[in-house]
Amino acid sequence: MRHYIGSLVLASFCAVFLSLSGVPAQAAVFHPETYTLANGMQVVIVKNRLSAAVAQMVWIKTGAADDPAGHSGLAHYLEHMMFKGTATLPTGGFSALIAAQGGEENAFTTHDTTAYHEVIAADRLGLVMALEADRLHALRFAPDEAKSELAVVMSERQERTDNEPQGIFWEKMAAALYGAHPYGRPVIGWQNEIASITPDDARAFYRQAYAPDNAILVVSGNVETQDVLRLASGTFGRLASAGDVAPREVKPLRFAPTSPKPQKVEMHDPRVTQPIWVRQILLPQVKADSRLSFALDVLSEILSSGEVGLLHRHFVMEKQTASAMAASYDSVRRGPVSFSLTAVPAPQADPHKLEKEIDVYLQALAKRGFSAAEVGAAQRRLEDAAIFARDRLMAPAQILGEALAVGQTMSSVEDWPDHIRAVTPADVSIALRTLLASPHAVTGLLAPAKGASE
Amino acid sequence: MKKIILCAACALFLFPAIAQAATPKVTEVTSRSGIKAWLVEDHTLPLISLRFAFRGGVEFDPADKQGLAVLATSLLTQGAGPYDDKAFQDRLSSRSIQMEIGASRDEISGEVKTLTREKKEAFRLLALALTRPRFDQEAFDRAVRQQLTAQKMQKAKADWQGRYALYRAVFGEHPYGYRSLGTPQSLAQITREDAKTFICDHMAKDRLMVAVVGAITPKEVSDALDSTFGGLPAQGAVDTLAPVVWPKETASILVKREGTQTDIHFALPMLRRDDPDWYAAEIANYILGGGGFISRLMKQVRAQEGLTYGISTGLAPMDKGSMLAGSLSADNDKAGKAWDMVRDVWQGFYDGGVSEAEVQAAKDYLTGSLPLSLTSTDALASVLLAMQQEKLGKDYLDTRKASLEAVTLADVQRVIVAWFDPAQLSVSFVGAPEAVSVTETHNMILE
Repeated sequence: MRHYIGSLVLASFCAVFLSLSGVPAQAAVFHPETYTLANGMQVVIVKNRLSAAVAQMVWIKTGAADDPAGHSGLAHYLEHMMFKGTATLPTGGFSALIAAQGGEENAFTTHDTTAYHEVIAADRLGLVMALEADRLHALRFAPDEAKSELAVVMSERQERTDNEPQGIFWEKMAAALYGAHPYGRPVIGWQNEIASITPDDARAFYRQAYAPDNAILVVSGNVETQDVLRLASGTFGRLASAGDVAPREVKPLRFAPTSPKPQKVEMHDPRVTQPIWVRQILLPQVKADSRLSFALDVLSEILSSGEVGLLHRHFVMEKQTASAMAASYDSVRRGPVSFSLTAVPAPQADPHKLEKEIDVYLQALAKRGFSAAEVGAAQRRLEDAAIFARDRLMAPAQILGEALAVGQTMSSVEDWPDHIRAVTPADVSIALRTLLASPHAVTGLLAPAKGASE
Repeated sequence: MKKIILCAACALFLFPAIAQAATPKVTEVTSRSGIKAWLVEDHTLPLISLRFAFRGGVEFDPADKQGLAVLATSLLTQGAGPYDDKAFQDRLSSRSIQMEIGASRDEISGEVKTLTREKKEAFRLLALALTRPRFDQEAFDRAVRQQLTAQKMQKAKADWQGRYALYRAVFGEHPYGYRSLGTPQSLAQITREDAKTFICDHMAKDRLMVAVVGAITPKEVSDALDSTFGGLPAQGAVDTLAPVVWPKETASILVKREGTQTDIHFALPMLRRDDPDWYAAEIANYILGGGGFISRLMKQVRAQEGLTYGISTGLAPMDKGSMLAGSLSADNDKAGKAWDMVRDVWQGFYDGGVSEAEVQAAKDYLTGSLPLSLTSTDALASVLLAMQQEKLGKDYLDTRKASLEAVTLADVQRVIVAWFDPAQLSVSFVGAPEAVSVTETHNMILE
């Protein structure tokens, strides 16, 4: 609920379904307006006349990757504490005031960012702005509440990770892939380190990170610019900035591999009923807004677009060795970009054999290259997806907010269709060859207990 | 800065009223052949969402062929008319037409979402899927393989194990306790002929509901209704399924599973959606466990005690008998304590009732949150379809507020006494819980 780990969403059928809907991470022309308040807080406005509602997101340009050594889980724990009381508002008051106006609120933490969001009838935007501004500066850390919330977070870790083989598997994958890089430890934190968090730790982190020049406000909905700016100035605009008044630079998370060789993670568990195969590949040399990166977007679409993707056609329809296959490319991050392949082997199929077939297939594909028709069809789907993305209230706040919060530009979103259109078949071939040549890859298999009947 | 909350209150009143009408205007379109659809015409974006449903779904699976409804409906987009599976999917994809058809407990339903430039082709392909599906052998075999894999993955989840054990206990042999994806044995029984027959029997005009939202005129909708759904049979198989009868004795079932936590699922019978007291039940549920972070259960079990990450309850209106269901997870050594606390809070709710202020807070949320469910063309189409499924009026978006406001404290108290008795709760535990008493113990279902 109050927590979100992007890489975990990859799992199995889920990934296939996501790619089926064809809305990539940043496909849209939202026509945003941007402003900066005097205290350095960036404001982004997207008008959406489809409904009478408005979505507000506040993005903090700091996340779990910024947890101090030995204190993993601190950013996420602080996100939980943000729903407790402030100097003027008792615990529970925040949610009660929003609920009384028919609104909904939540938050999530990733390695790169922390984000808070509300959806509410558009004429009540002033309320959620005032409430967000209030907890950005006047949060109270009552010792008894801090303690019971720690128990909630530890229970959350049990529920999502320790009690589920998939949860443990993804942690092992991340540790193998990233090593000492901050992405190698879980957003929610290691259990023993969560247990050692004190209210003082959380308060120090809060003072450092929760300042207006480290935050971005995105408003999407049925609003007028002058109303949003007037309300934002009267609420967020009154927060004192910790440092200078320009927005703070986002801290990039560079990847310095110690042992760049392909690795394997194989895990067997009696609770697993169906094997899942996955490969994650890092491309530390690829810049997010480069031609190569846009070619990787197109490659991912060609490989994995629902039931017309090459992987589905080859492995699910023709070879019949998989029941589902997907690829995804993630370039919206402070750290290295990554590409993932996921396969759910068909009944009776040997996952190790399937892995070899995937390797052979991708090598052959790199040799044969891509036709203009294949690339053109994928480009057209991606451009259309940008239109569909406008039919969602939260999408612009999510997509623009995340891009800015990880240090990318507005044009990386707004000009994305143009960049996609410019990709050539040769670019896509280079993208695939780059992918296959990367030494920073981990191949994982999560499978039933050895000897269990298949 | 302390005045910021006060300012918020000012801002709330000073902020100019939004120009748009409070709720979208719903019109009913009737085609020349008599097929009806509910429409909200909106030209903001160049796209159209069409949703449809046929009453009756997984509940019509034969006992020895569980999984049939899901399998048969998944095949409709795997080849139709002159196009085999690949050709059909290529046509959809090359025009960015999104089409999905599936089955749930009480209905077969589907959606087409398309850019207006492709609307003709979208409706043509949907007509083919609905009226001329091919059920080719190769596509059929693949769908069976995929469903075998899907049901296998499902069984690994504690959440599914818990819900299945609970539903088996309260629904018994009634199809509401069936496994919608089937079992390896039941899937092996199903033939292509079964799939064809199921579609012919249950996708008929006498049980069809349609909702359309987006850049399309009533005249275009009327034409599309005839061209898309006109070829369906006029009448389908008669629904002879009996209502659910809950067992006299409540169940408490343990499903043993390795791990650190216990998943707890619970349910009791609830009044029907067309009962005049429905809105009072919505308010009661909101106060008890439906209201997110401000519900009584969440405040006590999560916020006060830190026993769980989350707990919620919800009303599930169903054709053959509604229920109220909820769930939480807790560490194994705290599972008994957590469940006892749920029962204590519930008992206090049942014995002591609720306050005027709680009822008002529930009304404020339930009336004020309506715009949140209408934020995209497909979300609005879903609401229009649900309104038809629940036999609500076309003016529901406007009357809902008054219906909720009319509920009195006494109404809510009456519904709590009649329908929220914690002695009626059946429960399942999946894990290795300490300090719980159970009436039955099972191993995880792995077959």
